[in-house]
Amino acid sequence: MPPRTYLSLIEVTRETHETPAAVEERVSRAGGTNRYGEPQFRVVWGGARLAWIGGRWTDRDASGNMIREAVELRRVPKYLPMDRWHVERWMPPESYGSPDEWQAQTTEVEDGIRIAALGPYPSRGDYEHCFTLESSAGEFIPLTAAASDWIVRAVEWARRQPRSNLRGAVAACEARRVRDWDRDVDAVLDEEFAGAE
Amino acid sequence: MQNAQSVALQLEKVRDKLPLLYERDDILLTMIQQRGDVERVSSRNMRLPLQIRPGGKAGLANMDGGDLGRGSGTVYDVAQVSPVFFRHAVEITKLVEYASNAPEKAVENAAKREVKNAMAQFRAFLDKLVQTNGNGVLGSIASIGASTFTMTKPPGAMLVYYNQTIQVYDPTLTTNRGSCNVTAVDPFGSTITVDAVPGGTTANDVIVHDGLTGAQPVSLFGILYHQSNATTGTWLNLNRATYPVELATPRVNGNNSALTPGAVRLAINKVRKALGSNQVSKLIAYTSLEQEHQWEQLGVTISQIIKEGAGGRASDLDLLFTGEKSMAGVPIKSSINANQSRVDFLDLSHWGRAVMQDIDFYDVGGQTVFPIYGASGGLASAYIFYFVTGFQVWNESPRSGAFIDNLAIPAGY
Repeated sequence: MPPRTYLSLIEVTRETHETPAAVEERVSRAGGTNRYGEPQFRVVWGGARLAWIGGRWTDRDASGNMIREAVELRRVPKYLPMDRWHVERWMPPESYGSPDEWQAQTTEVEDGIRIAALGPYPSRGDYEHCFTLESSAGEFIPLTAAASDWIVRAVEWARRQPRSNLRGAVAACEARRVRDWDRDVDAVLDEEFAGAE
Repeated sequence: MQNAQSVALQLEKVRDKLPLLYERDDILLTMIQQRGDVERVSSRNMRLPLQIRPGGKAGLANMDGGDLGRGSGTVYDVAQVSPVFFRHAVEITKLVEYASNAPEKAVENAAKREVKNAMAQFRAFLDKLVQTNGNGVLGSIASIGASTFTMTKPPGAMLVYYNQTIQVYDPTLTTNRGSCNVTAVDPFGSTITVDAVPGGTTANDVIVHDGLTGAQPVSLFGILYHQSNATTGTWLNLNRATYPVELATPRVNGNNSALTPGAVRLAINKVRKALGSNQVSKLIAYTSLEQEHQWEQLGVTISQIIKEGAGGRASDLDLLFTGEKSMAGVPIKSSINANQSRVDFLDLSHWGRAVMQDIDFYDVGGQTVFPIYGASGGLASAYIFYFVTGFQVWNESPRSGAFIDNLAIPAGY
């Protein structure tokens, strides 16, 4: 009788990790605290950071075929990819509008059922995605002491920047795009036209 | 050898480089790839088979002689696209050429400069069209003062450029009131000035690009065409009323309020609910500089200011994250041409270009540079060449995206 393997019976549906306390403490110290004394910045594992999403869900199989539809609230990972560390920043409740505006904007009606598409109003604010800890090629970076240093430096840098810098940064990005195109076109054409004259 | 011939030779030499200059993924048009899995299209419609509705009937069964009932099949339909052609005409006068055809006279020769400028302008023109809803409408006239149109925002005057030939249509796109040339554009004031206002032009009329004729003209199918929750009209030859849910892109109404994290999450979640909770990895958030700035103002993201401002230490931080701006984890691609009151979440893996003619010089028997004739019938001291391309933009899955519209435009824009 051939040996039977049971490994395939185990499927990890969602991997979760706790943020190391030392990292939490360093990032919290670098970023300061909010009006509730909670950290402005924190590091979370994608698969462990859940959020409410309500509405009509369409479940599909691996080939994309629809399996079922259901109108319900689900608690699912807030950020993708799930297998990365994400840095979050606390946003005050007013950045979500008033509770009335929140209700008006996020209440969906499906099959006559009113459902809160984003769950209840975040009356103490909420943490939102700031950036994902991954390499420039999109590869996983573990939450090492060095990575923790980088996060702290990024957070400290962000705290020092006045809001007025933001508009300049957006404009600079657009100017760089135009400059890059100009440079690349010159590189192509200079060679061709030099030979043609 | 005539100088025009030498210019023709220069242009011919650079001919195979045109796609290189054109196909850079820095604007939306070129981020939408020519699809390798689609055959080059002829003048007939390209057909996109769509699996629109699921089939089969599941339910409880009584196996003690019960009736198992009938079944049903998957609903398929076919979307269709046909390419439209665009041209960009470039004229060079002999004076310009004489003044720049040697290094001691000018840094760049005229032919090189015109190829470069024309390519930039043609790309910009097509990228402006890909922001529209497929009928060539570049803007709507709010009011008229002498020969100046104040344009309704969005898009204001963003989709128009200086010296462009435009046409004025009535608001129902039935009556073409005539054409004119743009003599000034003020994108901040949302005004355009033209050389001669076509007769009958009134407020609420719309302006369209040159070359369109007849009622209900068809141009490039852009974002407003594919990313719509309309339930009437047609989409790629399909009647939206027949598939009101399947062809509608999920929408979040911004209600003339500023962009909030909640609105962004709502839009992304609509895609997750429609496609499965983990299927948003390919999304991009396509938006204007105005809404990008609004998002930055919220203070959620810090990557941009690090990228732009960290000086010599920025490269260290690149190791830490991609440096891409993101909106709730979705990479942001912004454009000066994008609609100022929208954020579009696009899965470009479902978008493509049906191409009949790649960008090239217009060619007649090997000739690409043509003389211009003066009013007398004699030659004018100038010549002309054209860029041409023929394609159309399609999207095989309107529900794979989402959009937020009616957002307030931040002050100062």
